[in-house]
Amino acid sequence: MAISLKENISIGLSDFWSRKVRGFVTVLGIVLGTMSVIVVLSLMNGINQQTIQWMMERGGLSKITVRRDWSFDNPNNEPRYFTWKEINLIRSLVPEAEYFNPQLREWVRYSYQDKDYLSSIYGVVPDFTQIEEWDVEEGRFISAFDIDQANDVVVIGTEIKQELLGNKDAIGELITVHNRRLRIIGIMKHRFMKSNDAFRGENALSYLNRRAFIPLSTMIKKGTGEDEITSFTVKAKDADSAPALGNKLEDIILNLRHGEPVFSVETAKENAEQIAKNQKNFQVIFFVVSIISLLVGGIVIANIMLASIQERTREIGIRIAVGARRMDIFFQFLAQTIIITAIGGMFGILTGLSILTFISNYIGIELIASISVIMIALAVSVGVGFVAGIIPAVTASKLNPVEALRYE
Amino acid sequence: MKEIITVQALEKIYKMGKVSVPALKGIDVTINKGEFVAIMGPSGSGKSTLMHILGCLDTATNGIYSLNYHKVSEMKKHKLAMIRNKQIGFVFQTFNLLPHLNIQKNVELPLMYAGFSAKQRSQKAKKVLAEVGLGDRLRHKPSELSGGQRQRVAIARAIVNEPSIILADEPTGNLDTNSGNDILSIFTELHAKGHTIIMVTHDPVVAKKANRIIKIVDGMITNGNLT
Repeated sequence: MAISLKENISIGLSDFWSRKVRGFVTVLGIVLGTMSVIVVLSLMNGINQQTIQWMMERGGLSKITVRRDWSFDNPNNEPRYFTWKEINLIRSLVPEAEYFNPQLREWVRYSYQDKDYLSSIYGVVPDFTQIEEWDVEEGRFISAFDIDQANDVVVIGTEIKQELLGNKDAIGELITVHNRRLRIIGIMKHRFMKSNDAFRGENALSYLNRRAFIPLSTMIKKGTGEDEITSFTVKAKDADSAPALGNKLEDIILNLRHGEPVFSVETAKENAEQIAKNQKNFQVIFFVVSIISLLVGGIVIANIMLASIQERTREIGIRIAVGARRMDIFFQFLAQTIIITAIGGMFGILTGLSILTFISNYIGIELIASISVIMIALAVSVGVGFVAGIIPAVTASKLNPVEALRYE
Repeated sequence: MKEIITVQALEKIYKMGKVSVPALKGIDVTINKGEFVAIMGPSGSGKSTLMHILGCLDTATNGIYSLNYHKVSEMKKHKLAMIRNKQIGFVFQTFNLLPHLNIQKNVELPLMYAGFSAKQRSQKAKKVLAEVGLGDRLRHKPSELSGGQRQRVAIARAIVNEPSIILADEPTGNLDTNSGNDILSIFTELHAKGHTIIMVTHDPVVAKKANRIIKIVDGMITNGNLT
């Protein structure tokens, strides 16, 4: 008839309580280890989520972006732009691309009555709204007819609207860009995503609200006057087919530029995979470091438990004299080590959670320790207690009672 | 009278490296139920070794030891733990209470290993502590008590599981004369109630309280097996 688990736990707890200071010092390593497991895993999770959200906000994983690659020094002076003809050729070579948006960007001064506003303007085609998954809130976006006619129309972002027109009804108003009067036909939806960088303001997407869009044809014929398209975006049918389409586009463009990589082709999906891979590596490294600190904590505990068994030799002798079996002594000390580490683990979880709240407020990412992360942390700390407790418990249970009772 | 302890040709040999040191050289003794026996002898005579073997804390090298007709000398370790728990109550010279537990918890210790419920333990512990005159000190720690009171706690712990024998190892050795006399009168009372008591002492005055004295010198009984 062994003494029950409940008895062992109550002995363990009362022992812990009667040696509070030592108990907490013993357990500090476990507290810190568990804390770092919680913080690191949740931080990594949160940043991952943030990255995925960002990708989604910027057109999802099926988006492909072709733009000038300034890291290439272009010794043969291959053109760093596409002509309208080339764009049409590329478009015809990738019929599997769902949407295709060649675009031009310029930095301009917008004027309305006595107000001025400096920002960028984009020449785009109607596919833009599908690729960016971003449409007008009010009015309409640029149509195929606008492209055809090179109409003097503009769709503005909410910040431009606010700066120039305030709360006035903007649709139908005329704003001036490069001495050319453009009619406002639409206002884009306001974009918002909680920033992860407290120094750059609340809204990570506010730069999008400062943009305005006009028909690409208007931009070429009446803006720059030149037939030079510097970038385009494409949407593949789905995220899985995006990398293949990206490779195909890369080949086409390389052929057009005689094998010189003047342009870069970026697939959102490949970017996301690369980011996820990098984060996985960091996650593994940090996790290993946390585990090592837990192991160090465990070794400290094993050491202190061994010392405490020496100190408690007489107690062990007394317990054996009144009828404790070796099993009872073994489980008493094992349970005690596990209790100590479990208490440490819980403290670690609590401090980890409060540190997470602090970090979360500081960097502006929502960080939530999932139940599974908490369970992992607790299981690891109890596991460490189990391993660390075995040797001291065996040592205690093997004491010779006669010598133990004589021990001073 | 009914015999409770039978010891035949008991030997204990300590091996220290290659040297064998005999501590007990063939002990034969019978102790009957309800006896109060004192074991006397100079230090190094083997009386403590005999005490430890009778208390199942140690095992003999050769010979037979029966307690209550159980052949203890043939038992496995976990059986011996059960014997210590149920059949034997120890009283030590240095009291050997657990300092971080209050006296009620100290007295409950053997009951815990015997598997009694918390309620039963508390009832039994309170009852025996009242018997030794400490019913009002249940929550005190051993350090808050005098030596005599501590030894009374130890006696309460020894008898709480209603053992067959009480083994006392110099129970008055650490006490002043008055407290020592108190403790001895408790033993006398317990004896009167029918307990079997075996007490190791080197003090002839203390030994006189017993109704039989067994003298050990050099690992052997020198005064025969008188009853």
